[in-house]
Amino acid sequence: MALGRAFSVAVRGLEGEIVEIEADITSGLPGVHLVGLPDTALQESRDRVRAAITNCGNDWPQSRLTLALSPATLPKMGSVYDLALACAVISAELKKEWPRLEKVILLGELALDGRVRPVKGVLPAVLTAKRQGWPTVVVPADNLREASLVDDIEVLGAQTLGQLQAWVAGKGELAERIETQAPVLVHATDLADVVGQTHAKYAVEVAAAGAHHLTLTGPPGVGKTMLAQRLPGLLPELSPAESLEVTAIHSVVGLLAADTPLITRPPFVAPHHTSTVAALVGGGTGMARPGAVSRAHRGVLFLDEYAEIGNSALEALRTPLEDGVIRLARRDGVAAYPARFQLVLAANPCPCAAPDSKDCLCASGARRRYLTKLSGPLLDRVDLRVEMHREKAQAFQAEAAESTELVRTRVHSARAAAAERWRPYGIRTNAEVSGVLLRREFRLSQEVTAPLRTAVDRGVLSLRGCDRTLRVAWTLADLAGRTSPGKEEVTTAMSFRQAGGVR
Amino acid sequence: MTAEVRLALAYLSRVAEPPCPELAKLVQQVGPVESAARVKAGKVDADLARRTEARREIDSAAEDLELLARRNGRLVTAQDDEWPLLSFTGFARMDHRQRPESHPPLALWVVGSARLDDMAQRAVAIVGTRACTAYGEHVAADLAAGLVERDVAVVSGGAYGIDGAAHRATLGTDGFTVAVLAGGIDVPYPSGHATLLHRIGQDGLVVSEYPPGVRPARHRFLTRNRLVAALSGATVVVEAGARSGAANTAAWARGLGRPVCAVPGPITSAASVGCHALLRDEANLVTRAADVVELIGRIGELAVDEERPDSLLDGLGEAEQRVYDALPARGRRTVDQIAVASGLAPIQVLGPLSMLEVCGLVSRVDGYWKLSRPKT
Repeated sequence: MALGRAFSVAVRGLEGEIVEIEADITSGLPGVHLVGLPDTALQESRDRVRAAITNCGNDWPQSRLTLALSPATLPKMGSVYDLALACAVISAELKKEWPRLEKVILLGELALDGRVRPVKGVLPAVLTAKRQGWPTVVVPADNLREASLVDDIEVLGAQTLGQLQAWVAGKGELAERIETQAPVLVHATDLADVVGQTHAKYAVEVAAAGAHHLTLTGPPGVGKTMLAQRLPGLLPELSPAESLEVTAIHSVVGLLAADTPLITRPPFVAPHHTSTVAALVGGGTGMARPGAVSRAHRGVLFLDEYAEIGNSALEALRTPLEDGVIRLARRDGVAAYPARFQLVLAANPCPCAAPDSKDCLCASGARRRYLTKLSGPLLDRVDLRVEMHREKAQAFQAEAAESTELVRTRVHSARAAAAERWRPYGIRTNAEVSGVLLRREFRLSQEVTAPLRTAVDRGVLSLRGCDRTLRVAWTLADLAGRTSPGKEEVTTAMSFRQAGGVR
Repeated sequence: MTAEVRLALAYLSRVAEPPCPELAKLVQQVGPVESAARVKAGKVDADLARRTEARREIDSAAEDLELLARRNGRLVTAQDDEWPLLSFTGFARMDHRQRPESHPPLALWVVGSARLDDMAQRAVAIVGTRACTAYGEHVAADLAAGLVERDVAVVSGGAYGIDGAAHRATLGTDGFTVAVLAGGIDVPYPSGHATLLHRIGQDGLVVSEYPPGVRPARHRFLTRNRLVAALSGATVVVEAGARSGAANTAAWARGLGRPVCAVPGPITSAASVGCHALLRDEANLVTRAADVVELIGRIGELAVDEERPDSLLDGLGEAEQRVYDALPARGRRTVDQIAVASGLAPIQVLGPLSMLEVCGLVSRVDGYWKLSRPKT
């Protein structure tokens, strides 16, 4: 009769839950029984754990072994419990109660020779342990940098099971916390590289300053992707809290760099246009995993060739755009992932995408269908729309344009001004401001909005379009360092609407 | 008012050539009935006696009133509610020695159903020469129609020329018009306007201070003019020669403190000489009905600004003009090219471009900008 106990964390979405792992050795036919809703990866953990234990010079119990993961009703996935399972078994087999094992969270996958392999989702797991008041977390040595991002908790890195066993018994040491330096910012992409395209470049600056969503259309090769890639460089650095949020998501997906795990720059995510709904918003069996929208949280989601993306995939963006969070219900529960991203859409003007529109071979119907792919509700959220043109050869001779660094300082002060203004309303950027707020509390003078009224009267702007224009106008005013938009800002904001047609 | 009083006033209206301040004074002192009795008996002071001597034997008051009743008319006197007292108060301030006729009438012979005081509250006199040109006739009709549109009564003298054009235009647009005659209401003058005057009597008012049967005479026209000026808020002279009765009406209006307006004409036109003289004398220059209403209308009833011929580019700001001029007649340009051509910063070009697009002057094609239509 022997009982061993260890603790680990089950990560569901971004939320973690402490899992208690018990190993019970009783008389009976030799065999291993794993209870507590394990998935395939966890079922296989029996074999990994057994091999690792024996290869580290321990004995495997020669009678009936029951492994229980509780809470029993919580479905458990993955290989992260290997370390805890092994420790519980060793504890039961040796009939020893180590005080350290009672106060440590164990995370990690085991190789058959006893090495500890890195796992996904370490950051949310460590955050959970900290939140639940656990003093120590042992993670795979390869995940130590990621785990070290969490302050106020002891994090240790284990190389092998033997090393861990020695530490638990109080006979050895584990790798200590590694303080990582914030990565030095290197802008591989600079705004100055973009030739000409003043309108589009300005739109990117405005998008960065006001967190507006952006649509770029134009023939192939004019620099749509180039511009979109330069948008994250203009965005301000993530705050520590935001960094952790973003890093946690990437940890769950398993996309963190080993050496500099903390993500301090707004991420740039560019899914391919054949992406499915699941790839875009998240999904998967059992428990849904984060998709592109969550990976782009606090960053930029760039959908190139959006006209080629399936309608259902595009429409699935509506809720995350609205709520800033996506809730995915699957068999094993509902996972909620944050998804407050800035959307940048790019498309060719038509399917044939001739360099010059005069050479276009498409039927007018096809042309229209191509660009009206975006539904009204989706389009409503896109404040900035720019049509790009092909640059002539002489554009190459132009002197270097403004650098990212220069524009970024402007964007920063504009963002600060906007945040200051909207603070009483719980809003941080101009893009989030509701039309009602703009038209009531922040109503502009008759003279300033005269161009808008003219445009509405002439039927080239809808009332919804008015709200969009006003939002952009506020951003333009922030960029220009004015306290409120003037007539010039309003007319300039109007240039970012769709060409032709009322929208 | 009793029938006796009415008879007395009808008698008094004929017995002296109006206006007769001595008679008015007597009526005020002893009342119309007693005055009539005294005048008939010749028991009046010397001045009045001299003025009434010739006609005091004639008493056709009963017949006159009967004739008036047959024509659906009435005798309006200071005792009546509808007496336009306010219109005549101006006479009291005038210099009576210089203008001996500057007195209110004793009574008015009126044909028509509307009340006199209502009419006089919002009325404009349109007067002018009988020998008018087509231009004058056109302007008079135009003004009259415009005034009708703004609910203003048109007062005139029923003569040929401008007067007639004004009356006819008013009747034609279902307006309200008043003809003030220089003779009895049963003596249509000029006889060519008999039908017109009859229509005015039916739809508007025909007014005279002379009893029935009195022939219009030169001096009566001048006396009549003071009533035209008094019964209207402003007097508009559409066309007037160097020697014109219209100038006389204008003088009365000025004396009564009413605005005098004149319509300019060609400086070569003899029919406009009087108007130009008035304008030099600081009359109000009017070219449309709204200008006149501005003078006589209620507070704040101002004329809208004159329409100016506008080009498509008139409403544009300076930056928009520059951006518009920077676009070529044919072909298209990028924002950067427009910026170079206009000398504005590229970002400052965006606002004007979108404004021009809203106005339909430029359009966006494939990210380029071009003029929507060729420059003229």
